Amino acid sequence: MQSVLATARVNRLAFGSRPFSTSLARCQAVPQQKPVLLKEFKIYRWNPDEPDKKPELQSYKIDLNQTGPMVLDALIKIKNEIDPTLTFRRSCREGICGSCAMNIDGQNTLACLCRIDRDASKNAKIYPLPHMYVVKDLVPDMTLFYKQYKSIQPWLQNSNPPEKGEFLQSPEDRRKLDGMYECILCACCSTSCPSYWWNQDEYLGPATLMQAYRWIADSRDDRAAERMDRLQNEMSLYRCHTIFNCSRTCPKGLNPAAAIAKMKLEMATD
Amino acid sequence: MSSSLVLRSSLPRTLTQRSVAHSVIQARYATSDAAQRFAYHPGGPILKGTVNDPTTFPPSSRAHGSHHWAFERLLSAALVPLTAAAFATSGSSYPILDGILGVSLVMHSHIGFDSVVVDYLHTRKFPVIGQIAKWGLRTATIATLVGVYQFNTNDIGLTELIAKVWTA
Repeated sequence: MQSVLATARVNRLAFGSRPFSTSLARCQAVPQQKPVLLKEFKIYRWNPDEPDKKPELQSYKIDLNQTGPMVLDALIKIKNEIDPTLTFRRSCREGICGSCAMNIDGQNTLACLCRIDRDASKNAKIYPLPHMYVVKDLVPDMTLFYKQYKSIQPWLQNSNPPEKGEFLQSPEDRRKLDGMYECILCACCSTSCPSYWWNQDEYLGPATLMQAYRWIADSRDDRAAERMDRLQNEMSLYRCHTIFNCSRTCPKGLNPAAAIAKMKLEMATD
Repeated sequence: MSSSLVLRSSLPRTLTQRSVAHSVIQARYATSDAAQRFAYHPGGPILKGTVNDPTTFPPSSRAHGSHHWAFERLLSAALVPLTAAAFATSGSSYPILDGILGVSLVMHSHIGFDSVVVDYLHTRKFPVIGQIAKWGLRTATIATLVGVYQFNTNDIGLTELIAKVWTA
């Protein structure tokens, strides 16, 4: 019996005939080996534990064919596989939380909404949001930004609430808020504004101003006059020189410049 | 029975431990609250109040706010027909138009330069250079106004001058 099996095996080898199962496997698609596409990422690094060391650009090379499509995927891959000390903020990975705002190839945007340029001959430069105090690496200090947002009192204020039920609003009035309520306060626009760079301590910046107008334009809010009166000074609003960097950079496609222009017109004709 | 005894005896001990831990945490909160009031660190942000305090606004003034803005825009818009009118007429036959053009041009430039001074050399950041720039600009504007007045009354006037230079 043993010898019969052995001869059968020998025969199979000799005639090159294969069992059915292996010949099928040969015809099946094999996973394609993608070529290695190394791209260089130059990332701003600064560590508060070594305050005497100047900030520097650190270079990382990763294979784009083993990475997701967005810059945030590349950052996470670098942090996971190459350098766990790389620090950045991220949360939702789909452009709804605004945590991963940073300056990528000279443009303020959300890393999770920014596709990696597949051209591997050019490197990608990633900096934190410009003209902000840096906490570490790509993490800016947003304290002042949030304090400014709080100063415009971003909540509904009405001394005559309806006797029962909720505030009613016509579809036209509701439409006035479109393009403003979607703002996620990622600070891409404010930190792209030269006026905000130079006068950050007094000028509110496009993100906060658009939210100020969002509550002025809301038909359910009856404190528009007070809200506008607070902005009646040289610095808070009127440092806006219609540069339009805010509308150009907004990763959500909103238009803070238009909101500021409408607010200026309303305040002038008020 | 014995285990419940052990429990009962250990209960007050854990309670006291917890209260000690609690007071330690409270103390830490108290110190961190004091630390939250921003002290100035070289190169760091200068913030007023705690992280939960909103920023404050300068005193409200329409003259520095919407009126200033509306005046600036209307002046800029008015300069377009004024320039066209001055181009169509002659300064010596319409001296009032010449005078209005002279004044509004100087005011327009003053507002523009004033914007630059407020943006880049504000007195809150540059207490000395800011004051020099502010008052230097005011002096220059008044001197220019006096000069334009003298030139329009005693000489050929602004429009004639530009016409002459144009054809020279």
